[in-house]
Amino acid sequence: MARIVIDPITRIEGHLRIECEVENGKVSKAWTSGQMWRGIENIVKGRDAREVWLFTQRICGV
Amino acid sequence: MKNKDIASVSKHLGVSRREFLKYCSIVAAGMGLPLGTGEQIAEAVTKAARRPPVIWLSAQECTGCSESLLRATHPTFEHLILDLISLDYHETLSTPSGHQAEAARAASIKENKGKFILVVDGAIPVKDKGIYCMIAGRTALDILQETAKDAFAIIAMGSCSSWGGVPSADPNPTGATPVQKILTDAGIKTPVVTIPGCPPNPYNFLSTVLYFVTFKKLPELDDLARPKFAYGRLIHENCERRPHFDAGRFATEFGDENHRKGYCLYKLGCKGPETHANCPSILFGDTGSGTWPVGTGHPCFGCTEKGIGFHKPLFSKASLHMVTPPDTYPHVVEHQGKSALAGIAVAAAAAGAAYAAVNNVAKKLGDDDGKGKK
Ligand code: SF4
Ligand code: SF4
Repeated sequence: MARIVIDPITRIEGHLRIECEVENGKVSKAWTSGQMWRGIENIVKGRDAREVWLFTQRICGV
Repeated sequence: MKNKDIASVSKHLGVSRREFLKYCSIVAAGMGLPLGTGEQIAEAVTKAARRPPVIWLSAQECTGCSESLLRATHPTFEHLILDLISLDYHETLSTPSGHQAEAARAASIKENKGKFILVVDGAIPVKDKGIYCMIAGRTALDILQETAKDAFAIIAMGSCSSWGGVPSADPNPTGATPVQKILTDAGIKTPVVTIPGCPPNPYNFLSTVLYFVTFKKLPELDDLARPKFAYGRLIHENCERRPHFDAGRFATEFGDENHRKGYCLYKLGCKGPETHANCPSILFGDTGSGTWPVGTGHPCFGCTEKGIGFHKPLFSKASLHMVTPPDTYPHVVEHQGKSALAGIAVAAAAAGAAYAAVNNVAKKLGDDDGKGKK
């Protein structure tokens, strides 16, 4: 059983990692994970609701 | 300059020779360079023996910085930038993935040691040993330190890498840190240029790169490492609504009559008076006149300025660093040489006028002011 790791996945926004297990030439198991965290959900906690868009808008700029 | 060179470049870019030269002249003018520098830039671009290699690292970012560069609608823009540089590594644009992409980065560093330009978008998290941003199993912190020491110069693209940006907003959950701080702490001396903005104006980036390609050095920088040609002035100094500010005409609510009339947005929280950038002069988004935040009716939120954007509440009033004393302007009907100030001792006038002006402006900025003018 071979284990393949592809990190970084390019041509997408963000830092994505894919790991998979290959059995008899077929992917049997696979995991994806985002490799970056800024904690925007924590940053907006308790803020004036009128300015929350300013932060959440920057989750993804694509 | 051989016309042949320009002809081939302009053909490649899909614009006329005239348009290409015009574009280079606009870039030169935008940087405040003397007339004729446009030709010099065009020559440097067409004759460059070797395109400067660029490695682009992304850390805690949203890719808005890359998008603003790629989505510029000026027809020659992304071609020019992509033709001008040899982009050896960029996570969102690289064709290979995984270890092949990483190998390309390593190969470029090895081959171009001390010569490549490193562009960084995104802040670098340092909390918990930097685990909040990992690429190929390594922390962004580690990769930046490794790459930075071999670079010729670093361009911190966007507010995140320039001063921390969004991820550094209170309570900064991941210890998001700007590039310069990481380098200073690690004792790395590679010079850093910052192009803050969220996202930054792509023309400020392009102009910096063109300057580098043409003159083989970095443009003049301010004390926050921002190119002076782009960040030398406050938004407030070049804002088209400034006459309204000086005359005390303010919008006090979104959609009120004064807002619809295009009055000054100071009371809605505009941070133009404490934010340095060239947005009112070169606009944003290439979609015609008036396209920049204040032009569309929204207050500037101070994205280019450390401690302002994402830090000061959006609707709180900006601190005024400079006030124009409108009431000391010479009387419009005075004849030349007989202005209102002419008869007064200069020193006394200056001191008195400044006092009167501050008083006056303070009065105009009072909370209830403007409402009566609805
Ligand atoms: S500066 Fe703004 S546009 Fe650029 S990566 Fe950070 S959040 Fe995105
Ligand atoms: S406060 Fe804002 S809208 Fe008003 S003049 Fe200054 S920059 Fe322009």
